[in-house]
Amino acid sequence: MKKYDRVGGLIWTILGILLCIGSVQLRLGNFNKPGPGFIPFLSGAFLILFGLILTLVTFLKESGEEEKTRNEKIWVKENWKRIFYPLFALFGYILLLDHVGFLITTFLFLFFLFKLTVPKRWTMPLILSGGTVVLSYLIFSVWLKCQFPKGILNF
Amino acid sequence: MTGFLENFSLGFQIAFTGANLFYCFIGVFIGTLVGVLPGIGPAGAISLLLPVTFGINPVSAIIMLAGIYYGAQYGGSTTSILVNIPGESSTVVTCLDGYQMSLQGRAGPALGIAAFGSFIAGTVGIIILMFLAEPLSGVAIKFGPPEYFSLMILALTILTYLAHGSMIKAIVMAFLGVSLSQIGMDIVTGQTRFTFGIMELEDGIGLIPIVMGLFGIAEVLTNLEESGDLEIFKAKIKGLLPNLRDWLDSIGAIIRGTFLGFFLGILPGGGAIISSFVSYAVEKKFSKHPEKFGTGAIEGVAGPESANNSATSGAFIPLFALGIPSNAVMALLLGALMIHGLQPGPLLIKQRPDIFWGTIASMYIGNVMLLILNLPLIGLWVKLLKVPYRILFPLILFFCLIGAYSINNSTFDVLVMLIFGIIGYLFRKFQYEPAPLVLAFILGPMLENSLRQSLLISEGSLWIFFTRPISGVGLIIALLVLLSSIFLKKHRQIIAKMS
Repeated sequence: MKKYDRVGGLIWTILGILLCIGSVQLRLGNFNKPGPGFIPFLSGAFLILFGLILTLVTFLKESGEEEKTRNEKIWVKENWKRIFYPLFALFGYILLLDHVGFLITTFLFLFFLFKLTVPKRWTMPLILSGGTVVLSYLIFSVWLKCQFPKGILNF
Repeated sequence: MTGFLENFSLGFQIAFTGANLFYCFIGVFIGTLVGVLPGIGPAGAISLLLPVTFGINPVSAIIMLAGIYYGAQYGGSTTSILVNIPGESSTVVTCLDGYQMSLQGRAGPALGIAAFGSFIAGTVGIIILMFLAEPLSGVAIKFGPPEYFSLMILALTILTYLAHGSMIKAIVMAFLGVSLSQIGMDIVTGQTRFTFGIMELEDGIGLIPIVMGLFGIAEVLTNLEESGDLEIFKAKIKGLLPNLRDWLDSIGAIIRGTFLGFFLGILPGGGAIISSFVSYAVEKKFSKHPEKFGTGAIEGVAGPESANNSATSGAFIPLFALGIPSNAVMALLLGALMIHGLQPGPLLIKQRPDIFWGTIASMYIGNVMLLILNLPLIGLWVKLLKVPYRILFPLILFFCLIGAYSINNSTFDVLVMLIFGIIGYLFRKFQYEPAPLVLAFILGPMLENSLRQSLLISEGSLWIFFTRPISGVGLIIALLVLLSSIFLKKHRQIIAKMS
């Protein structure tokens, strides 16, 4: 964790510096009449301060055996695959929703994820995703009157 | 006293209307549901349902959303006891003795005492809340911008102090939250800040996409990466009613847990998690047989379960009396009040007694509903535990998508949610806690206003924060908390370890 904390601390410091620069451009004002950049500047300054403390603390800590094993455990390639596909599906949903419409996009999204979890079967993912789409359409669109993009199906 | 009784009966008249009973039931039902399911918590569920409440009146909305919060505490214990996986972070400690009781064939009494303890503590907690909130709000009316500023600083300091793990990281999260809250239009000058020409950012980033991302999407991603499916509970549950011996062993723990939980619940960030751990520690200390703890001692279930329920009532005190949320869920309720055009603060109870008393009365009714949902209908939740996570997670993600989209009917909010989902996932990996960020994000604009107004009043002198007694005391306590975190590092490590 030490290595990551060091990098993290630097990221917060850089973010703080950028925030301070942006705040100065907004106009800081003074204590009598604080301007729109006053609070963002203070937040940025504190981000720099605590980012630096976080980084410095890692130099003071001694690294033990436990730390090393923890570092190794953080990124496991196999586990990455498990979250990559859902993330891909989520991005796809955002890209398609406005153009293709709620019903088809939702069906594709759910079918993709259900199929991923039961790769050998077709009927269960089809029933689950189809059922959820119909039910959610009835609850959210018909009953609760939520407005969803109609897309190519036009309803 | 007459005024009190009038308000009390007004509350019940409101809570007993058909619509409010319905919304109360929906709230506690969903609360129990998300409590039972380890993949999603009350913060995620409330942000999911917040857009749904736009069309209903504010009392019903708050009744339903509050129901999710206290209902989740009931549901969380079921998963802890039956499968040794905490449904909620506040029921982690219930696993220790609850699961052991389950292994010994005493899952019934464990679930029973958890439900009865929760009911007693929840009800007593509401009574204390009822008597404390109004007088406190009377005092809070006299607060000016410096007092509010100091109290918010104190709230954030305590929250970062009680955060799991590194306090430096928690402070970074708080400042990040304040920084994010600055995006959008400055209400004093009308100037846009950090929008980078993106029109959707002119009104600022929405609270709901942030919370859904940090708590909903991030939780799913972490679960997907870490674990497979839950272990299915196969044994039949019998004898839900605890016997006389169980009651004698538990009643002291329930009473202690109730009061301890309520007062720890008032503290920012304290809430249900810390109170359940403290209650367990206290019970072990009070017990004549501390060696039995961890091997299936019923008081190890009764105490923490009572504490986490009364803590939820305690958490309503700062929200209703001061308009300052004490945790992420309360921050969402504050957001809900504001969305419905209400101004949370000390005047809320006076100006809108229907909101305060209606919610209080609905909490009594909600606790009765929860007792029924969690005892005779326990079989329903056990069945739910058998649904594999691989089936549940696409549905959770889908509900998050719908929730984020329906706030403004815009895919921009969905994108924001997804980005914060990935950020939240990374935060979990690198041990940054999202709660201080959310609270600071909510408090950010209020903090800025009160600072600006205070400085205008004092003509630029910072002494105003120290020369006014309440503000001064608040800031000194905040400073002491900060200093104590340096000197009592060991104590903090113990809290972190317990959490």
